[in-house]
Amino acid sequence: MDSAAARLAALRGAAPPVNHDARTLAGLSANPGCARRALLDACGADKGKIARRAGHPWQFGMSPFALARGRDFERRLKDNGAALLLALLRQELELPLEEVAYVPLETVGDNTGRELRHRNTCRRLLAAAAGREPGTLFDHPLLRLQIGGVPVYLEPDLVALKAAGRFHVVEIKSFPVIDGRADPEHAAAAVKQAAVYVVALQEMFAEHGVDPDVVATSVVLVTPKNFGNTPTATQVDARKQIATIRRQLRRMRRVEELLEPLPPGLTFDLAPDECGRPTRPPEELTAHLRQVPSRYRPGCIARCELAGLCRSEARERGSLDVFGPDVADVLGGIDTVEAALALAEGTRAPTEEQADIARALRHAERLRAELAGEPARPSRPGTEPAGERAERPPARSAGGAA
Amino acid sequence: MRDDEAALEELEERMASLRRALRAALVQRDSARARRLRAELRRTEREWEELAAPAERKAPRRLPAREQAHRVLTLLGVAAAPRLISAVHGAFFPGDLPASRLWNLRRDEERSYRSAPGARPYYLCPALTADLLAPARGLLTVSTWPLERRIIGPHSPRVDFLTAAVRISTEVLARRRAGRPWPPQARARAERLLQELAAGIPDALPPPARGAARADPEQVARAAETELAIHAETDRRERAAAAERARRLGDTERLFGIRLAPVPGRATMGR
Repeated sequence: MDSAAARLAALRGAAPPVNHDARTLAGLSANPGCARRALLDACGADKGKIARRAGHPWQFGMSPFALARGRDFERRLKDNGAALLLALLRQELELPLEEVAYVPLETVGDNTGRELRHRNTCRRLLAAAAGREPGTLFDHPLLRLQIGGVPVYLEPDLVALKAAGRFHVVEIKSFPVIDGRADPEHAAAAVKQAAVYVVALQEMFAEHGVDPDVVATSVVLVTPKNFGNTPTATQVDARKQIATIRRQLRRMRRVEELLEPLPPGLTFDLAPDECGRPTRPPEELTAHLRQVPSRYRPGCIARCELAGLCRSEARERGSLDVFGPDVADVLGGIDTVEAALALAEGTRAPTEEQADIARALRHAERLRAELAGEPARPSRPGTEPAGERAERPPARSAGGAA
Repeated sequence: MRDDEAALEELEERMASLRRALRAALVQRDSARARRLRAELRRTEREWEELAAPAERKAPRRLPAREQAHRVLTLLGVAAAPRLISAVHGAFFPGDLPASRLWNLRRDEERSYRSAPGARPYYLCPALTADLLAPARGLLTVSTWPLERRIIGPHSPRVDFLTAAVRISTEVLARRRAGRPWPPQARARAERLLQELAAGIPDALPPPARGAARADPEQVARAAETELAIHAETDRRERAAAAERARRLGDTERLFGIRLAPVPGRATMGR
């Protein structure tokens, strides 16, 4: 691991490693096929700074309004000895009435040092697991997970212990559940994030010789109901997400596999001057970044600081990934926009397995031409080219926003 | 107005003791302490003037935040967070007490105590955590309460919440029955508060028949008492054990809690 650690440090350059949190881990597992992100995260490079220097600053992230709304919602749930939260958990987890003990772990006395908080969290959770100390609601525990050899601190909103002796991760989110349905993207991200906490809890117990089965593999999401501020709790099975996170963590442990194909001398160092301003030429940085394969998807925009760079690269290559998984699935077996267009226009003969897709594409092209008032071009799959006009791709109008 | 009389006397006594302490500090050439005492003296004088000059009153006089909070805490009888204190104040007392005015109160009280210990008849202090006897975040108590009541054990947040719900319900009932003047705005605030509390207590709300069920103070109090009976004994034991330890602390720490100050300049991030 030493040589790998040295190589990772060389990749990162002079800057200290950036901390992971549950959000970055969840983002990583959202696109496990992306070696670029896996590598940059493994070496702890500051992706935000790198993207800015490479000319593609990240423009997303959480809005301050969303953050304030989230804080407010959480505060309401935890006010008055977490009375509202307790009422929900009694309903959802069938928490018995006597289970009310509340353990605040946000500070240790006035101290908010992470190491101390983490130790305190371990002590209190282990004591509760062994039944030595009372504890039902553990508010803001600080967990730790080894990621690529680096300890990462993680802070769930709440961990609740049910009387039957299992710990449940409770994640408080401010996106609404309307008519029993949450925005799938938001819900998936929240469950993934909670799954990271489950893994961290399991690891903590395992490390101290407690059966990790004491951690429930279902997580509880607490969200506002409909358009108001009334909270509702939903229990979600997170086994799949937990398995994904574990796989991802193993992969980061096997970081050698990611490092192996890289040319020597590759680095994402920004060469900062004394004031911390990057001095590395952007072209050179971009060239080095491009030597690590990426796998761009539209969802990356919301989760990864490098998304802008990868998107422009994917567009240059004419990759169909730019249009999202739906389009890529429909056009399975075709990689580029050029190939899809050529099939649609009949300028290219489809292979045997492309015949179905080619037929669908030509049909779409005919419809498009009709709508645009252009003369239809009769052609059937397998026939010769029917024209050489260059025009806009059919998919671009549908997926152009991606 | 008997209250005012007593408060004025208390303030006068306090000014006298502050002047004595100030003189001592000046003799000892302790300029830092003298500065603190002068500031405290000026604050007290201002309070005295506000209270002693009723002619200048336009709107109903606003009590200092500490006195407003003290009234509320006395009504509740348990440790409470600024937001609850503010809500209860709005429901039962004239004038308003925004929670933001309470945020710095704890620090002011501690400063005042340290500059002239015991000069005031009561101080607003933090609740103390049962495990470390450290100040519990955001919970205010009154220094004259028995230690047990100022300690927050694992079951105490729930017990205090239920106790507060009982006290608030009882107060609502008493006001309704006594027919005392109760401005409709405050009354509405009280009912909203009751509704909110009831949502967190099992069986405190009537079964929803049609539309939203309105909280009935008698039912809320009964439901809270029922659950209270489950936790009371455990909580009492936990608090008593911690109070026993707290009694061994020095005066200041017993009132304001043990500080576990972070070691400055030490990052704990591993590599």
